[in-house]
Amino acid sequence: MDPAFIRNFSIIAHIDHGKSTLADRLLEVTGALSAREMMEQVLDSMDLERERGITIKAHAVRLNYKAQNGSTYQLNLIDTPGHVDFTYEVSRSLQACEGALLVVDASQGVEAQTLANTYLALHHNLEIVPVINKIDLPSAEPDRIREQIEHVIGLPADDAVLASAKSGLGVTDILEAIVQRIPPPKGSPDAPLRALIFDSWFDPYRGVIILARVIDGRLKMRQKIRLWANGRSFEVEGLGYQSPKAIPCDELAAGEVGFLFANIKTISDAQIGDTITDDQNPASEPLPGFEAIKPMVFAGLYPVESHEHGLLRDALEKLRLNDSAFNFEPENSAALGFGFRCGFLGLLHLEIVQERLEREFDIDLITTAPGVRYRVTRTNGDVVEVDNPTKWPDPSDIRQIEEPIIDATVITREEYLGEILKLLEEKRGNQKKFEYIGGGRVLLLYELPLNEIVLDFYDRLKSASRGYASLDYHLAGHRVSPMVKLDVLVAGDPIDALSIIVHKEFAHDRGKALIERLRKLIPRQMFEVALQAAIGNKIVARENIPAMRKNVLAKCYGGDISRKRKLLEKQKEGKKRMKRVGRVEIPQEAFLAVLKVTSGDEN
Amino acid sequence: MPGVYISFPFCAQKCTFCNFASGVAPRELEARYLRALEQEIAGHPWPWTPDTVYIGGGTPSRMPLDALSRILGAIPGRPWREATLEAAPGSITPEAARAWHDAGIDRVSLGVQSFVTREAARTGRKHTAATVAADVATLRAAGIANHNIDLIAGLPGQTPASWSESLDWVERLAPAHVSVYMLEVDQDSRLGLEILNNGARYGAADAPSDELTADLYETAVDRLAALGIPRYEISNFARPGLESVHNLKYWRLEPYTGFGADAHSFDGVLRSENVETAEEYVRRVESGQPARQSEAPANRDEERFFVGLRLMRGVTPEPADWARFGAPINRFIDNGLLESDGATIKLTRAGVLLSNEVFSEFILT
Repeated sequence: MDPAFIRNFSIIAHIDHGKSTLADRLLEVTGALSAREMMEQVLDSMDLERERGITIKAHAVRLNYKAQNGSTYQLNLIDTPGHVDFTYEVSRSLQACEGALLVVDASQGVEAQTLANTYLALHHNLEIVPVINKIDLPSAEPDRIREQIEHVIGLPADDAVLASAKSGLGVTDILEAIVQRIPPPKGSPDAPLRALIFDSWFDPYRGVIILARVIDGRLKMRQKIRLWANGRSFEVEGLGYQSPKAIPCDELAAGEVGFLFANIKTISDAQIGDTITDDQNPASEPLPGFEAIKPMVFAGLYPVESHEHGLLRDALEKLRLNDSAFNFEPENSAALGFGFRCGFLGLLHLEIVQERLEREFDIDLITTAPGVRYRVTRTNGDVVEVDNPTKWPDPSDIRQIEEPIIDATVITREEYLGEILKLLEEKRGNQKKFEYIGGGRVLLLYELPLNEIVLDFYDRLKSASRGYASLDYHLAGHRVSPMVKLDVLVAGDPIDALSIIVHKEFAHDRGKALIERLRKLIPRQMFEVALQAAIGNKIVARENIPAMRKNVLAKCYGGDISRKRKLLEKQKEGKKRMKRVGRVEIPQEAFLAVLKVTSGDEN
Repeated sequence: MPGVYISFPFCAQKCTFCNFASGVAPRELEARYLRALEQEIAGHPWPWTPDTVYIGGGTPSRMPLDALSRILGAIPGRPWREATLEAAPGSITPEAARAWHDAGIDRVSLGVQSFVTREAARTGRKHTAATVAADVATLRAAGIANHNIDLIAGLPGQTPASWSESLDWVERLAPAHVSVYMLEVDQDSRLGLEILNNGARYGAADAPSDELTADLYETAVDRLAALGIPRYEISNFARPGLESVHNLKYWRLEPYTGFGADAHSFDGVLRSENVETAEEYVRRVESGQPARQSEAPANRDEERFFVGLRLMRGVTPEPADWARFGAPINRFIDNGLLESDGATIKLTRAGVLLSNEVFSEFILT
């Protein structure tokens, strides 16, 4: 197809601002899907995605649109993940586009996530088409939102499209704006092949499936291709595009978007951001911006039932086929037995993996407190990276510790500022920017230790702002910090799976809060149980769980022995779900108690 | 000899602590229920003659006197060794007491729960200590001298002082038998659910801690022993010779037959139960279907322990039991929850309070 009639775009929106509904509506209006065929929010395919209302995997849908000028255009809608954990994937999806719809809720306004992705899009030189959505709601204030877009993002918003994806209002205006305002792709169909991988996943029948945007040249069936990062070659066995059903084709030329499979066995051969080129006639340079994805958050995953260890390993291997951002290696805990140290992009990513393991593979899991990867310089000058508290070097052997730092953008309303600033200070943040962005809203840019985010930051931010704060962050280097390892002893035995790395100044308070929480989570045993938090040999906090005082069934009513048996069986079953460490039965939740240690929330 | 249990699951109101399948129902259902009960009893083949009868509820003292008389008239074996009727304090008239006596009742179990007006009122009871005293006098005058008084430790607002007030009344009324239950906090009662949800209705916020409840219970154990009413079962206390003959059958794995909704039976081999709700019971009996919904063989090897150990006299394990349960038995002897004279094992004072921990080790299936 002549690139002049191609438009590649994505939709930037905050969760709930109407991205999926708008995507559905575009599909419907262009006839890619009849209303009758249409399932709600077809682009979000996995159950989990639908439940959480976020998109985890990017997708690309081709729409054919007959514009008011009489020509028919190929519009490729490239869907992007909507969460801060997946910034890199977002940037690759944006790189595949020439423009983006910036969808802003007419009453909520611009959120941090939207802002971050818009900056990302501007960085990739995309044409931004502002869309003010939900204008049919009584609380809609399109003028204020327009002003905000101009002020905060610095984009002219006079010609923002007013729309209601729900009712279909303004959808044609959006399509016209895509055609008129977003530039056609620039690449040359005759240059050597360069195609950008912006998504890939594992299919049990076809192997890895790649979504790619052809920048230069042509991708053809049976073509021998080379994947740049690993230098491996494959033959294209399937080629096509989604509309939204998969439609096979023989060729994708410069400017077009589609999928391919080539008998690729592992997802790590087809990494997001990598360049596909022709094996015989390769391009001289890859496309810019490729980075191998690095996990930032680490946690131990253990089966509750130790005999399920093999099952868990198989499940992790299967998940990894489909998720190159996730990695794992075996680890061994004195408390929990055999498990795996796993690396994730962020907390949400961790939760998704955890839920998929429990839901799809039916494995009961214990997850240990998430942490980050520290750079530790030993006294002999060796530098080691430590992402597991149990591997923390002896303090006498540490010269210096560096912790990962992020730049975090928070957008909130003025009235919550006090609480949020307090939280950011408490989390060891350094303020880099403080800006009123109109409409009673404030933008904060803080440098924060990543370690503070993986504890309970999201929950705290949410409650401090009653949900009216949005957050975005990216890694911004390392800084030297006095971190220490905080151990927990239960009945005198250190529980390795409960150890955490904390800032020295917080160790005492965290230790206290953690022990207090554990006291509430660990049920009374038949004997008194001492809980202690310690740094090295120094005990910083202590609590006792008093011995169980009573566990008695009173009545034997009318000779109902079966009720008695059932109650006793239920108690026994409850114990089975706990992990026995030494003499003490510890419930699963206790291992995550560390997460909530700073919240001060009693529940 | 076997016993008979008759269930009357109707009450004037549902008490906050009640976690049984009983409650308030339309009068019309009560009448149909009583007819169904008569029909079920009439259809029973009586392969043996019972020597005890126990009418429980619900509040069977609300049963119309003619119906009670007809029902007891259909049970063979009169005069029985023991025939108990459960009663709510405040509902006992001299006529009723005489009619009960004439129908063969010789023992009444009073669901007092607390002699402290405020505590009783919070559970939904309207009686006072004076009401109970009057009831006891009425029963004695009618010739029913054998009484049980139910008490609950752990009711909202209870304190050591208020508990001792209730125990003072036990001393004053001098019953033959006392039952002391620790409040069961579970989802099945309104109060239990409220406590679990950290609510405040029914005084849930004032519910005593586990410690206090256990202390109150132990105070009762000592006080009742001093009054000559020692504990013979985890929740039951009696003057020697006046233990409940009927209830002992449950703990000794002796047979009994139950009639009515949610009534349980044990023929020495099989345990069975009737359908749980009064509505379904009535529906089944009226349409000629059996009221019994399930039966399964009793597991005597396990029940001997988790039921038998409720009796203070303990259980004498046989060699096969030692092979099966020797390890937990010895562990509990070591940690002081069980004691043994070499032949018999029994719960210690501490073991009673943690008896579920002990019992669950005797459940293998």
